[in-house]
Amino acid sequence: MSTKITDIPSTLQQSDLNQLKPEKSDIGLTRPDHSKNVFIDWLTTVDHKKIGLMYGTLALFFLLVGGVEALVIRTQLAVPENNLVSAQMYNQLFTMHGTTMIFLAIMPLNAAFFNFLVPLQIGARDVAFPRINAFSLWSFVAGALVINFGWLLQALEAFGLFSASGPTAGMNDFVPAMGWFGYAPLTSKEFTGAGTDFWIMGLQILGVASISASFNFIVTIINMRAPGLKMMRLPVFTWMTLIVSLLIIFAFPAITIALAQLMFDRVFGTNFFSVAGGGQPILWQHLFWIFGHPEVYILVLPAMGIVSEVLPTFSKKPLFGYSIVVFSGAVIGFLGFAVWSHHMFTTGLGKIATAAFSLLTMAIAVPTGVKIFNWVGTLWGGRVRFQAPMIFALGFVWMFMMGGFSGIMHSSAPADAQQQDSYFVIAHFHYVAIGGILLAIISGIYYWLPKMIGKMWQGNLNLWVAVMTVVGLNITFFPMHFLGLLGMPRRYHTYLSGFGWETYNMVCTIGSYILGLGVALLVVDIILCFRSKKPAGNDPWDARTLEWATSSPPKVYNFAKTPIVNARDALWADKYGPESRKLGAMDEAHGIHMPSQSWMPLIASLGFIPLGLGLSLMQAGVPYAGYAAIFGLVTITFGISLWAIEGPGGYHLHPKEAVEEA
Amino acid sequence: MTYLLKRFRNLSCLVSAALTLLFLSGCNLNTRMSTFTVKGPVAETQLDLFMLTVWVTGFIFLSVGGFYAYVVIRFRETKDSTDALPAQGHGNPLIEIGLIGASVLLLVIIAVPTMKGIWYTHDVPDNEASLMGSWYDNEASSVSISEESASEPFIIRAIGYRWWWEFEYPQLGISTANEMVIPAGRPIHIELRSVDVIHSFWLPRIAGKVDLIPGRSNSMWIQAGDSIEAWENKSAFTGTDLEKEQAYKTYLEEEIHDYYYGMCAEYCGASHARMGFRAHVVKDSEFYQWIDKQLAGHQAPGEMDWETWYEAYDNSPETLTGDINEGLKLFMGRAKCATCHVVQGNPRAVGVAGPNLTNLADRHSIAAGWLNHQTPEKTVDTEKQYENFVKWIAKTDEVKPGNLMWKAKGAGIGELDPLLNEEEIRQLSHYLQSLK
Repeated sequence: MSTKITDIPSTLQQSDLNQLKPEKSDIGLTRPDHSKNVFIDWLTTVDHKKIGLMYGTLALFFLLVGGVEALVIRTQLAVPENNLVSAQMYNQLFTMHGTTMIFLAIMPLNAAFFNFLVPLQIGARDVAFPRINAFSLWSFVAGALVINFGWLLQALEAFGLFSASGPTAGMNDFVPAMGWFGYAPLTSKEFTGAGTDFWIMGLQILGVASISASFNFIVTIINMRAPGLKMMRLPVFTWMTLIVSLLIIFAFPAITIALAQLMFDRVFGTNFFSVAGGGQPILWQHLFWIFGHPEVYILVLPAMGIVSEVLPTFSKKPLFGYSIVVFSGAVIGFLGFAVWSHHMFTTGLGKIATAAFSLLTMAIAVPTGVKIFNWVGTLWGGRVRFQAPMIFALGFVWMFMMGGFSGIMHSSAPADAQQQDSYFVIAHFHYVAIGGILLAIISGIYYWLPKMIGKMWQGNLNLWVAVMTVVGLNITFFPMHFLGLLGMPRRYHTYLSGFGWETYNMVCTIGSYILGLGVALLVVDIILCFRSKKPAGNDPWDARTLEWATSSPPKVYNFAKTPIVNARDALWADKYGPESRKLGAMDEAHGIHMPSQSWMPLIASLGFIPLGLGLSLMQAGVPYAGYAAIFGLVTITFGISLWAIEGPGGYHLHPKEAVEEA
Repeated sequence: MTYLLKRFRNLSCLVSAALTLLFLSGCNLNTRMSTFTVKGPVAETQLDLFMLTVWVTGFIFLSVGGFYAYVVIRFRETKDSTDALPAQGHGNPLIEIGLIGASVLLLVIIAVPTMKGIWYTHDVPDNEASLMGSWYDNEASSVSISEESASEPFIIRAIGYRWWWEFEYPQLGISTANEMVIPAGRPIHIELRSVDVIHSFWLPRIAGKVDLIPGRSNSMWIQAGDSIEAWENKSAFTGTDLEKEQAYKTYLEEEIHDYYYGMCAEYCGASHARMGFRAHVVKDSEFYQWIDKQLAGHQAPGEMDWETWYEAYDNSPETLTGDINEGLKLFMGRAKCATCHVVQGNPRAVGVAGPNLTNLADRHSIAAGWLNHQTPEKTVDTEKQYENFVKWIAKTDEVKPGNLMWKAKGAGIGELDPLLNEEEIRQLSHYLQSLK
């Protein structure tokens, strides 16, 4: 710890943030603390709440990007033999739609909730490693830029401002076009161009962001809980964050290795996946799906966490079977590593492996079913209030169940032979992804945005959002079950008439516009909420968990005094419970130690951009691109080194509430 | 609050109305690639399992979903709700255990037939009737199969290329592309190979898909229509053996002999959507005829033998006149077709990079199923066929973007200088139409 900080409370020390002066770091540079410049403040912030909001904003942006890609896809498929986009463009669109939605929309939306809520829910001042938290955010931004860089090149080429030479000349494939799971050998140099490299490098960078964030949350949740907040008193959302973080730690190395091998194949001519050189394309599928299946739970468990918070609040009852809900979450996470080959039932695994993965896949339906039973049990005997978050949470349970049913249908391997790679699968995972994850996330936004910005929702727009999304979702994806069973394979940029697919496709397309409108209305409603004049107050929903015990928006230090927790639903017990269960407060006369802001996480993360682009362009034959990669590496090393030697810094605050009460 | 509830009810009404509309609008499940109207034991097993999962999940949907709806409505907050908090119950282990047990039980109902299905659909049944020798008639065909072939199942090797299919019949020494001909009621072992990226062989009404993976030898089995024993069991036919055989033949003729549609189901690059194939299911006698025709291949135009034709072609090509001769000259010469295509019989058309064109004009589609010329009576529409040939030769890259016939390191027809003119395309198309 920096020696410049005085740990002795002094009456002269200012409790007002604005009057604090920034200090010099250990390397003699002025720390960007207390900056009046809003850009500097946000770019160098280490505050988990600001980082969470930035994650959320960027993720919403990418949700819209992915949504527009989806709408173009649906428009192309509205009628047979349509020519709205070329085959290549269509392939780029569905590849980027999948990649964007999974890695740039849902994961960061979840991360936004993790960041904002976990420290509040556990009564902490921040995450364990605030600067690593900033580093995760900016690495995510770098990865997102690298993956999407191809669109820029393609746009420049379309306007005649740029033309490619070298191996990818005329191939028009700067944008990834090999599907979001990039099956080898379609990803080899022989078949795809620079788009694949951008995709590899971008995902690799996003992996760095996810893994560093996950370590941060694991350490935070295990070490920084408020006194009395035992593990089995943790809010379920925090539990799910912990499980998801562990899943990320175990799942991402598999794809990191697979991507590294693929990069070596492309850039340095190794033969991991090339048959001619003795490699095995099927190896990619195993490596990808042993990441990819846990990834599904990485996406869905936070959604389950959100719903497990919203349902009790709006039925005024504790979660039914708390420990079983938590345990089944852990079981889902564990079993999630044992079912990856059900994505590969048609690859000729052999009878025994197919049977084993078939049975394990059925087994995973049990803990998932348990959660549904417990959610219904939570409502039983409660007082169900149909407020905005609750409407979406109720919709989640219903729609997620639908996605679960088609999941059970896939688990029967012979039946799956007809469903795999058809629109039936598309229907299945969109019921899970939209009906499940997205509805839960919208529920979470309606629930927690007042806490995040201190303003309350107004008007009834939320009902329109609910109607549009749920109706749109069903009209878009329900017919896809039939499309798939009538033989329409996925990833077809167009189709002939005469196969009985025309009506279904048209209906799906209409549904997708309704769904798109619903999401657009959500954005409008969020903007209206930001402009709302109605203050949210600390606890607008009569909620149960600790984040509602502090102000909305929470002060930079979260809690003026660290709470002492005496019950599972800490705030609920404080409001309605017996005296012994009420919240206590720590005596913290020495003030609140706040971490210093820093440029270093940003600088280190930005180094990923030249590194990723440089390696990709080097493969495509762009001269000197290799030097850009070296420059990127140097920047990362430089950023992290300075970060290490600048010292953690920090300053003390003495909030009025705490001082006055004392 | 009641306003909200009303809206919520409206919402569910809307959803159910929309779903009903959908069911009514697109109810026809008897389509070209339907997995509902199946015509073979493999697809039938798969459909049975699917329907089982539908019933089980349907039961859960009604019971759990119905209970859920009931709970939401019964315990909604109303004006009459008291201010007192509801009972703060934390759960009930007995209920939990009971529900877990029930879930496991329901899954077992699916699991047991699934295991059976996995074993059954994996490869041709291990019995006498599955062997080629049990049905293949050496007398009826011009190809006699070896002892070894007789003691193994009938094999077709499906090879995936970007973006077309090669079908080899290794036991018969013949090969074709994109449209395979198979005998009804006979089990067939399909070997799946790929020369470039991963493809997937999907013939929905006959069998679910299995992938073609480079560097890996996958296989599956298909059978169009039931074997006579299975048919007898299902139809509960009673009568003499002779009547039975007759009735079985009628069954095959009326229900099974047909033209089946298949497609590539694993994303394989730009023209993935244009990688279809067809299976023409015929009776044994037609199958033998097809083998003969495929083996015999084609004579040179004008009843010439190939030696004479090539002598003229090499020394005095101007003596070979007429559209078909002109077309064949282009085929062998300027258009470089023979570099990549086999035409059985023609001693110099032996390229193997592209589809085998033997009896091309007998096929009901070209360009891997993308350009079709089938009449409603399931014969070849020759006018449409001609149009399709012209379209394909003139606009190969538009019909199938990225494919090798257009650009292949100097060997593609898109790289000819000058490109084929209209007259040449017309002549080539006429020649191709003569391949029957």
